[in-house]
Parts: sequence; structure tokens; C-alpha cells
Amino acid sequence: MTDGPLLWYLNRGSGLVVLALLTLSTVLGVLALGGLTPGGLRGRGLPRFVTQSLHRNIALVSVVALVVHVATAVADTYVDIRWWQALVPWWGSTYEPLWLGLGTLALDLIAVIVVTSLLRTRLTHRLWRRVHLLSWGAWALGLAHGIGIGTDLRDVTDWAVLPTAVCAGAVLAALGWRLVLAARGSARPAEDRRVEVRA
Amino acid sequence: MNAARSPVPVPDDILVRPGPALLRGIADGPSLAAHRERYGALPRLSLSELGDLVGDVGLRGRGGAAFPFATKLAAATAGRRPVLVVNLAEGEPASSKDMALALTRPHLVLDGAYAAAAALGSRELHVVLPGDRPVAAERMRAALRERPERLRVQEHTASPRFVAGQARAVVELLERRPNLPVTAWQPEAVSGVRGRPTLLSNAETWAHVGLLVLRGTADYRRLGTTAEPGTTLLTVTTQGSVPQVHEVELGSPLRDVLPADDGSPGIVGGFHGSWATAETLSRARVSVPGLQTLGIPLGAGVVLLPGPGSCPLQLTSRIVDHLAGQSAGRCGPCLNGLPALASALQGVVFGTESTARVEQLCGLVVRRGACAHPDGTSRLVRSMLLTFPDEIAAHARGGCAARPVEVAS
Amino acid sequence: MSARTLRVDWPACTARGLCRELLPEIVELDPWGYPVVTGEVTEDLLADARAAVRACPQLALRIVER
Repeated sequence: MTDGPLLWYLNRGSGLVVLALLTLSTVLGVLALGGLTPGGLRGRGLPRFVTQSLHRNIALVSVVALVVHVATAVADTYVDIRWWQALVPWWGSTYEPLWLGLGTLALDLIAVIVVTSLLRTRLTHRLWRRVHLLSWGAWALGLAHGIGIGTDLRDVTDWAVLPTAVCAGAVLAALGWRLVLAARGSARPAEDRRVEVRA
Repeated sequence: MNAARSPVPVPDDILVRPGPALLRGIADGPSLAAHRERYGALPRLSLSELGDLVGDVGLRGRGGAAFPFATKLAAATAGRRPVLVVNLAEGEPASSKDMALALTRPHLVLDGAYAAAAALGSRELHVVLPGDRPVAAERMRAALRERPERLRVQEHTASPRFVAGQARAVVELLERRPNLPVTAWQPEAVSGVRGRPTLLSNAETWAHVGLLVLRGTADYRRLGTTAEPGTTLLTVTTQGSVPQVHEVELGSPLRDVLPADDGSPGIVGGFHGSWATAETLSRARVSVPGLQTLGIPLGAGVVLLPGPGSCPLQLTSRIVDHLAGQSAGRCGPCLNGLPALASALQGVVFGTESTARVEQLCGLVVRRGACAHPDGTSRLVRSMLLTFPDEIAAHARGGCAARPVEVAS
Repeated sequence: MSARTLRVDWPACTARGLCRELLPEIVELDPWGYPVVTGEVTEDLLADARAAVRACPQLALRIVER
């Protein structure tokens, strides 16, 4: 079963699935912050806890897809990727070491983010938040890994180009909105908030 | 919003009247030598002896909450490596009793703290100096330099704001974070500075401890009542005079330290206190439970008498404007609710807002913050609503009995 | 039988409002979006209260036994 193209196709497909799911999770994470209407989305659209739950659950599903992606890469004999190269970046890798390493780094970051989120109630909010902000970096590393190592992104007419571009656009828009919210101060902790006066 | 200035400024100068116990012999001067001359050496007490002393007289804290000191002591005993804190950050501009002690009796305060530290075996003693009363802070620093004890005291300076003296805000200051309140899941006596039991008390409380250690309970019980032995310090501020600090026996009539009754009301308990009519002031006795039955908190022993020419509604409005600006800005209900309350109160002064709206906002801010700032503000406002229905009605009709309605400067 | 209340860590709360969605029986919102706890956490509300505590993005809720 390690010969033949099945694992290779699974690997390539799951790679794009991971990107799509992480993109969706990121967009939902930013939407969960609210701020789209004055006073939030109260009464309009999805309840906030639904957006929040979707953000978390889709992230967890993407981890499953990520495991499939890594497992198929290691199991497949078409390319020489050992299991430890999936965990420690650039450790003796022979297949596309630079791009593979970026993917491994992304996985490491995602692992830390997921673990800290699962243990959220046992950590300080500040620590959790700082680690969680790394998710932007993890997504970018994953994208770079995909573009560099992905055989379906070689030519602009390849099938994976459009979905990848859509994901990139969505995350860029989410990042832009996140920065707007940060400038507005609506997502900042209480100490930084300006005094609001309601006359 | 401009941070509104306090209608009662923090005084540079106060008048301290000699008293029967804490303020006895202040004419001798604040030096350690004079203090030892009068009181002798500081006895070394065991923890149980100290507990007996404070328990026997039922010593209550003088920081405003009137919490039984013996309970705090027990909590500090139960834990490991307790931390002691002398809190001189008065916070309340209309209170100057801690300043009075710093100027005239610093060693009485320190004797109490050092005795407790020795009894508890604590090696960590902090003194929090007021940031807005530099003379008092300097006098206390000078007093600390005179002490011969080996135990090193860590000095801190509180920020010059209303909430700086709050217990958790002080713990934050000691942990080198901003001097502002945070949520406390446990009392600081159980878990305070770096998670350790923290015996944090007001300067006057420590002065009482010092007095008990130096003189014993028999002497202490000579004054006050059986139920409430001892004395307490009051700061009386009247229009146009320097604030006066008096020491009075518990249970004595409040009118003994007030100027002649001119029929005008006053605020008891400071900016977080309650209005009292002239009649109540003349009947009241200086007693924690006694005043409580009259619906008035003794608090930190502050009496504000604005005089007959002052409008209580306008004064309350200016105080609340100031208190709204003094919010630490950390808790949504306070940060938003107090300015809204200040606005609504201004509306009542100008006759454009209903008292129902004011009462609604009061209810909305109470018990919804990390500290009692909104609660205290709300208490003052509600007491105004209760005490002055006639004046409120007059303002609603566009007039004011005391003076023309003016815009706060 | 101890009473349980929902306590808010006020400096941490940024009025995200998830608690109101998950526990409308005892949580209302003030005009600025901050929670007003109107009742105790009874036995039948305990599971929802725990969900609200876990869901709060700022970890600003705790169930406290009196």
C-alpha cells in the first residue's frame, strides 16, 4: 500500500484541505470578536457562541486533516520524508528541505496553539493570547510550505492555484479587519481602553 | 471628559487637636525619643498575647470597612510567611487622619506594625506612603529612619488618586504593577502579596494596635463604651477652614466636634458616605453600629460640612463628577456607569432629568466592579435622593434654595 | 447544600456577550454590553453555567460556592 499514487494524492489533497480549514477557522476567529455593528451582532446573524464554537471545532478538524497530511507524507515511499522530519524542522531532510521545514515549523506552532487552547482554563489569559496570536504566523508558514513544496502550484493554470488564492485573500481580509478592530480598541483588555462618556 | 477636580481638595495643611489616647501629648513632637519617653520600650509579645489584646477590645479596622482586626490576624497566622502592610494612602481627599498620625504620632503606628511583625515572625513589612501628601510621606520616612529595629521596611508611594488606597490596589503596587484594583478571588489576608497572607491595615488601625501593645487593654478600655472601647479619629472639614482631626471616644456624641448647629446638613463617611440632616448630626453618636442604624457609614471618620450657603445637590454632583473621573477604568460597569450617573445627576441639578433614571444607574453599578468605588459612589447618591426630596423638587421647578444653579468649573 | 453564584472578573470582561447567549436565565446585559447576573446557579443551570465559563473568550467567569 505504500507504493502507488493513492497516498500521494491523499497527501496533496489533504494539504489543501488543511489550508482551507485553517483559513475558515481564522476568518471565524476574527468574526467572533464582533464589532461589525455598534454593540455587536446582538440579534443579527449567528449568536456569538456559535461563531466561537465553529472557530474552535473547525480548528480541531483541521488538526485531523493535518495528521492525515503528515502521515501520508511519511508513509509514502515516493518521496523520502521520515517521521521525525515532520516534527523537527530541517533535521536531516533530503526532500525539499527548505519548504518541508517551513511546514514542520507550522505544525509545531499549531501543536503549541492547540495544546494551550485545550488547557486554556489552566493558563493565564495573557499567556494563552500571546501564543494564540502565533496562529497568523502558522498560517503564513503553512501557505509558504504549500507554495514551495506543492506540486499542484507549479504553474498558474494548476488546479490548486485558485483555491489557494481564495484562501490567501480571505486571511488577508481577516487580518485587515483584525487590525481595524485593534485600532478601534474594542478587543483590547480593559487597562488600555479610553474613557467613554455616555451623555 | 475632563477629569473633574475634587470639590474638596487634598489639604496641604491640617489642624490636629490633642486627644485622650492616640493623640495624647502630640505637643512633645513626633520623634522616637519623645515617643519612648512617654510610652517606654516596645514590649515583645507572642502571637497569642497579641491576639488576646485585639480580640479583647474587638479592634476594628479604621480604613473604612471596620473589619475585625482579630479575624485578619488569624488569617495571617494560618498561612506561611505573612506580609505586613501599613497603609497610609488615604485616597479620600476629605480624610486626613492618617496624615495627622504621620505628622504627630508616626511611632505609635510603627510600634503596632513592628510588634505584630515580631509576633507573627514576619520578615516582610511594607509602608505605603501617600502620593498626594508629600509632607506626611516625608515625616513618615524620617520616622522610619529613626527606628533601631533590624527588620527592613520597604517603602512605596501610592499614586495620587482616589482608588490608590484600596487593599488590592495596594497589593498590586507592592507587586510592582499599576496601583489599581484587580479582582480578588480571596481576601488579601488569605492570599495577597505574591500569594502570601497579607495583613494590610490602615495607619490608624496600626496605631491602635501600638497603643494596646504599649499600654494594655485596661488602659484602652478607660475610654469609649463597654461594647466599643477606645477612641477613633475624625476629620472634620467645614467651609472656609483648614480640616481638623479630632480624637473622640467611641460612643460620644458627634456634635461635640462639630461647630454650632446651623441647621445645615453634612456628609458622614466621605465621598463614599452618606448625607445626614442637621438633626441626625446632632443626635448621632460616634459608633459603627450606632451610625449604621441611622443608615450612615462611619467609614474613615470623615465629616464634611459645606455650610448653609451650599446646595447639597450641586455638591453631590461635583463629587460624583470627580469620582467618575477617578475610576480606574478597568471595569466596564464603572467606566461607563459612573460618567452616565454623573451626567444624570447633573440633569437632576438642572431639573432636566428624573430621579428614577439616577436610581436606575445606581442600581446598575453596584457590586459590578473589582472594587467598591461604584458602590460607594452609589451610596452617596442614594443618600442624597433620600435626604433631599424637597430640594430635588425645587430644582425640578428650576430653582435652588441655597444658591443659583451653576456649571461646575 | 451550598449556593453557587456566577462571578465576573470585571477587569477581564470585554462585553463579548457569550455568557448572555448561553445562560439567558440568569445573565442579562446592561446598556454597555456587560453582564448583569440576576440569579444563582441552580442545579439545573449548572451545566449551562459551566459551558458559559468555558466559552468566555476572556476567561472572565467563575462559578463560586458560597
